Amino acid sequence: MIKSIFDWLKQPLGLIAVGITVLTLFSVAAYGIYTTQQAPEQPIQFPHQTHVAFGIQCLYCHPGASKGPAAGLPSQAKCWACHNQIAKTETSALLAPLKEAVLSGTPIQWVPVAQVPDFVQFNHRAHIAAGKNCEDCHGDMSKVTIAQNPQVFNMGWCLNCHVESAGEDHEKLVKLSDCGTCHY
Amino acid sequence: MATLSDLKISEVKLGEEHTGKWGMVIDQDICTGCQACVAACAMENNLSFVGEEDSGYGRSMHWIRIERFWEGEYPEVKMTPNQPMMCQQCGSATCEPVCPAFATVHSQAEQLNLQVYNRCVGTRYCANNCPYQVRSFNWRDYERPEPLPNQLNPDVTVRRRGVMEKCTFCIQRIHKAQDKAKSEGREVVDGEFTTACAQACPANAITFGRVDDPESMVSQLAKRSHGVKHLEELGTLPNVTYFKGG
Ligand code: SF4
Ligand code: SF4
Repeated sequence: MIKSIFDWLKQPLGLIAVGITVLTLFSVAAYGIYTTQQAPEQPIQFPHQTHVAFGIQCLYCHPGASKGPAAGLPSQAKCWACHNQIAKTETSALLAPLKEAVLSGTPIQWVPVAQVPDFVQFNHRAHIAAGKNCEDCHGDMSKVTIAQNPQVFNMGWCLNCHVESAGEDHEKLVKLSDCGTCHY
Repeated sequence: MATLSDLKISEVKLGEEHTGKWGMVIDQDICTGCQACVAACAMENNLSFVGEEDSGYGRSMHWIRIERFWEGEYPEVKMTPNQPMMCQQCGSATCEPVCPAFATVHSQAEQLNLQVYNRCVGTRYCANNCPYQVRSFNWRDYERPEPLPNQLNPDVTVRRRGVMEKCTFCIQRIHKAQDKAKSEGREVVDGEFTTACAQACPANAITFGRVDDPESMVSQLAKRSHGVKHLEELGTLPNVTYFKGG
C-alpha cells in the first residue's frame, strides 16, 4: 500500500503534485508570517503624519509616556477638543467614525500597535527620563499613517540598547542587564 | 565598553558572610495566625485559585503560608507560635544552581532570588531543592471566573501552566518605589513602601526594608538578640529574621 503511493509519487505527475503541495505550504507559511508583521486594522485610518506636520507633540496625545508605564491611547474627548473647532470634521468621511463616537458616546476601540508580552514589565517613564526619544523605538511618525513598528520588539533589541547606554558604568550595567529589571 | 560577559555570576560562596539588600523581620510572638498576609499576597501577585481537587493533591499555590507545629507528648501538647514562611531570598540559594534553564537566578542589582517565568521550562528541580519548600508550580491554567480577572495586578505577570513561582519580596513594589524616587530626584526612604504581606498584617508582625542600611527599621529590629534565621546551618544565608519567645 505505502509502496504503491511512493511509486505513484515518483511519476512525473506525482512529482508535480509534490511540488505544488510544497509551494502551497511555503506560501501559506510566508503569508502567515507576513501578516503578523502588519499594522493592525484600526477603527479610523488615523494619519499620524498630518498631526505631526501640524506640530503636535507625541506627548500631547500620549501623555502617560512621561509619567508612568503606559503611554496611553487618547479618548475621543481629546480628539474632539481640537476637531470640533475644525470645519473639515463635518464633511470628511475619514472623520465620520469620530463624530459618530462622540455623538453616541461609545469609545473608539484603538488597537495598540507597539506591544510587549505580559511577562515584560515595561515602563515608558524611565526610558524618557534616560533621554530616549519616542522615534528611537517607534520610528518616524511624520512618515506613517497608522503607527507601524519599525522593528520587532524582542529582547535582544532591548538588551543591545541597555548595554550600550550603560557604557563603562558597571553599576548601571548590572541594573540594566538584571533579569529582574523587566521580568517579574 | 563593558560587555555582558564581564558580569560575574554570584560570587557569594556557601556559608560566607553576606549582607543582602532587602530583608524582612517577622515577629512570631505577635503573629496571630490570621492569614491576612496570605490573602494580601495572593491578591497582589495574581496567584491562581487552585481549587479543592488539586489542592488535595498537594498542588495548592501560596507564596506565603502560616506554619504551625506542635511540641511535647500527648496530653501535654503545646502549639508553637505561628510561623509565616515565604521565600527567604537566600544569599546563597540552593534553588539557583540546579536550574538547567537559568530561570531562577540571583539578581545582582536587588540581591533577590528571581524567578524568570518566560525562561522557566518547568523541571521543578528548584522546588525539590528548596529547604523551605516555598515554591509552587502551576500544574494547570486554573480558571479565573468573572469578575475576578478585573482585580489582576497589572504590574505582575499572570503565570501560565508549567512554570514555577514564589515570593518575590514584591519586586514590583520595589521597582515602583525606586521609579517614583528617581522621578523626584531622591533616594528611596525607609518605610516609604512595604510588601503586600507586611502592609496587610494587622499585628505589624512583618517588617520589610533595607538590611544593608544600619539605620533602617528592619536592621534595627534584626539587632535584637533573639532573632533566628531558619535553617541557617545549611549555609543558605537567608534574608528573613524570625523572633520567637522574646
Ligand atoms: S513579600 Fe510580597 S510576594 Fe513575598 S510573601 Fe510578602 S506579599 Fe507575597
Ligand atoms: S497577617 Fe500578620 S498576624 Fe496575620 S498571619 Fe500574617 S503575619 Fe500573622
